[in-house]
Formats: sequence, structure tokens, C-alpha cells
Amino acid sequence: MEWFLDPFALGFQQRALAGGILAGLMTAVVGTWLVLRGMSFFGDAFVHGIVPGIAAAVVFDINPLLGAAAAALVMVLAIELVNRQTALSEDTSIGLLFVGMLALGVIIISRVDSYSGSLTTILFGDALGVTSQDLIVQAILALIVISVATLFYRPLLALSFNADKAQLWGLNPGRSHIALLILIAAAVIGSFQSVGTLLVFGLLVGPPATAALVSRTVPRMMFTAALISVFSVWLGLTLSYHLNTAGSATMAIVPVVLFFIVLTFTRLRTIRKEKVASHA
Amino acid sequence: MPDVVIGQQVVITRGSQVAISASDFTIPQGKITAIIGPNGSGKSTLLHAIAGLLPVSNGKLTVLENTPLISSSQISYVLQYTTVPTGTPLTVAEAVAMARYPRLGLFGRPSKEDKRVVASAMERLKITDLAKRHLTELSGGQRQRVYVAQGIAQDHAILLLDEPLTGLDINSAKTIDSIIHEEPDRGCSVVLTTHDLEEARAADHVILTAGMVMACGKPEDVLTNENLTSAYGLGSLHEHHGTNLMLPTEHHLDDHAH
Repeated sequence: MEWFLDPFALGFQQRALAGGILAGLMTAVVGTWLVLRGMSFFGDAFVHGIVPGIAAAVVFDINPLLGAAAAALVMVLAIELVNRQTALSEDTSIGLLFVGMLALGVIIISRVDSYSGSLTTILFGDALGVTSQDLIVQAILALIVISVATLFYRPLLALSFNADKAQLWGLNPGRSHIALLILIAAAVIGSFQSVGTLLVFGLLVGPPATAALVSRTVPRMMFTAALISVFSVWLGLTLSYHLNTAGSATMAIVPVVLFFIVLTFTRLRTIRKEKVASHA
Repeated sequence: MPDVVIGQQVVITRGSQVAISASDFTIPQGKITAIIGPNGSGKSTLLHAIAGLLPVSNGKLTVLENTPLISSSQISYVLQYTTVPTGTPLTVAEAVAMARYPRLGLFGRPSKEDKRVVASAMERLKITDLAKRHLTELSGGQRQRVYVAQGIAQDHAILLLDEPLTGLDINSAKTIDSIIHEEPDRGCSVVLTTHDLEEARAADHVILTAGMVMACGKPEDVLTNENLTSAYGLGSLHEHHGTNLMLPTEHHLDDHAH
């Protein structure tokens, strides 16, 4: 029992758990749509793209959330601009902004001499440094993200099914896409302080991808992804305490390992079913 | 019978390309209309414009006495090659039920009537036993039946179908063909695109396209040797059973290629 309780005996450890769970719930809901719409590369670029905003916020001593939000806006608008003004494919515009924004972030960071502005802290977070104030902001963002995602459930499902069909059903696919971009931004901004920008991506993709292997409907996929996220956060923090490893990174690696375990089981089950069917 | 669609000097562009040059055409109410023409002749473009997915660049397109956008809630459109991203966890029942979204909005709960309409559509397309199957687990023919069920489960006065019978197994083709012929009895106007001359001859009304509407009217008036030769080009049609002309099939095209 002590093995389970010791990692969360102190206040900062409990806050790390709460922050991780809030991040996990937000990213599970948003990440489900991200995975279904095949936008993982955008998600990857996006979590790196907000780095210069956070670094600039540290330099100018403003709230990092505002810096991240400003960088997110620049990123999305610039991708949209390249898409509309050129015939280049979308992954090229995303790639351009990915490397451009990350490079800008590293340049700004190279001029800063503080722990909170270091590349490691921004990319990998500081799970054990989450404050009560951070948790309140995160809880508000989580509430907004989950409410908006619920509001847009049908438009987003229709968009994932087929954009033309969504248009024909009067469920404005353009508006749904923008709503999804805002949801991704809110989930990332609301989570990066506890799990870091890079590792938010792990929670955005890992649990929904694992859930997709075993879910037959989107609501079940979301619910399963949320369970996997919460489990990953708890197990990650527990393991990091006992193994003395980085908390955020350990949280992020759990869903990836889980994905391959579940994949192995589902493949074995399929092979067994095929064998039974071939003998019948 | 009034016309449900009236096109007057309609021009439709896709990007910088003119897909349909200035064309006049009509689609009668409660009948089956077939749009036929070579690949890239503007068949799907015409359906997209009628459905309100593509704007008309010039001329006037009237659908159910209004603009296509205003009338779009009374149009159900079964798209060609609806691609479902693999991995989307969507069951057959859920996919068909999505057709009720225009009525239900963001939060409306499906009523008994909604459930009855969905169940009836699935029954008519013979996919009730597939209700819990995942879309990606279906054959091409089964999936097309799901999309047509989705089409008829949506409230509609006009049913648009883009090549609904192309490449299907015989059972799926027969089931969908019977739906096409049942819909006019329910007061619905059916518009479909096809490459099959016999399918077009079996329709009540035909529109022949080749970058514009070349002819529009009864099959016997539209599908003349002269019109077909003009639309498909000289030498691309084949004599069949004495007098009937046949459109080039892939087999024929392969023969020419070799």
C-alpha cells in the first residue's frame, strides 16, 4: 500500500497528480478528434510552435499562458496564410511553421538565463512545480474544453466522417475545424505547465490512439482515452517517484508503451479468430 | 408536373477551370433523371451545384423554386467515393443515424419518428443485420448501401446519387436500383449520374453532359447516335445489337490501348 500512497503524500505531489489528471482529461477529449482527423503532425508542430511565446513571456515577465496563446494564434494564422497563398500541401506549411517557431523559441531562450525559461522546462514541464493557482486556471480551461467539445460533438463527428457531408447537413465544417483548432490550443495551453509542451503531445496522441484500437464508437473512444490518460498520469508519477525519473516524461511514455501492449493483444486476438474461422 | 430544378445559362467553375459552360436544363418532379457523359464532363459538378456545394458562377440555377443553398435542407446527396478515415470508430447504425443531424441540430434527442426512419432506411437497404458492424469492416457494396440508407434517412424532396451503381456486387446493385425506382412513388425526385447507357435509357429524363449540357429531355430524344457521337467523340462508340450504340467500356479502352 505504501508503494501506492507514498508518491502522493505531500502537497506538491498531490498537485502534480491533479494537474496531470486535468491535462489528461482535456487532451483525451481533444486528442480523440486530432487522431480521427489525421492531424497528429499538426498537433506535434503546434506544441513546438508555442515555445517562442512562452519564452518571450518569460523575457517580458508576462503570464506564459498569454505568450503561448499569442504564439498559437500566429502559428495557426501563418499556416492558413501559406495554405491559401500557395499550392503547397498542408504538411509543408505546417512543417515550415514547426521549424520556424521552434527555432525562434530556441533563439529567445538562448538569451534568457532562468529556470522557468529554459528549453527543458518548457518542453518537458515541471510536474512537481504546479501551484494551486495553476490548478485553478487549468480546471477552468478543462471545463471550457470539455463543454465546447460536447457542444461540437455532432459537427466534429460529421467533419471526421466527410467534410462535404457535414456541409450538406448544415453543420458548417469550416467553423467546426476552427473550433477544433481552438480546442487543441486550449488543451495545450492548459496543460503545458504541468506536463510540458512536448509531452502534452504524448497525452494528445497516445491515449486516443490506444483507445482507437479497442473502441467501436467515438464516445467510447473518448471515455477510454480519458481512462488511459488518468491511469498514465498516476502510473507515470508513481513510477517516477520510485525510479527517481523525470515525472512528465514518465507520464508521457506510459500511454505509448500501453499502445504497443494493446496493439499486441488485439493483433493476437485477430490472429486467433482468423485461425478459428479457418478451421470452422 | 413542375420542374424541381431549372438551370438557365448556368456556368459552373472549379478553381480556374470552367467545368460547365453556359447551359440550360430542367429536372422534372417525381421522376428519375440520369446525368450521363464522359469522364470529366461535369456530371458530379452539376450535382454539387444542385446540392449547394458549388456556387454557380453565372446564369441562374433554381432548385425547388429557390436558390440551391436555401433549398439544401430538402436535398439529400449520396456522394461518390465517400471515404471514411480508417480507424474512425463508427458503426453502421450510427452512420445512418447521422442523417438525422439536420433535424436534430447540436443537442436534439432522436424521437421515435427519427428512430423509425433510420430503422426503415436500414431495412430497405438490407443492412439491419450489419447495424453493429464497423464501417471499415464492410465490403464496397455493403458500404455503398449504408451511404444510400444514410441518403434516404435524411428528409428530402430530391435525392442526388453520384454513380450509385458503379463497381457494385450484383446484390448491392439490385437493392440500390430498387430504391432508385421506389423513391419517385414516395414523391421524391431522383437524380443520378451514370456511365451506363442502358441505365440512362431506363430513366424518365436524361441530361447529356460534355463540358456543358448538350441535351436534356426524354431518353429517346437525348440519347441519339448524333448526340452521343458528339459528346463522346467520333470512333469511341461501338455498334451493339445492330442499331444500339454502346459507350466504351474499360475492356474496349484496354483493347485500344494495346
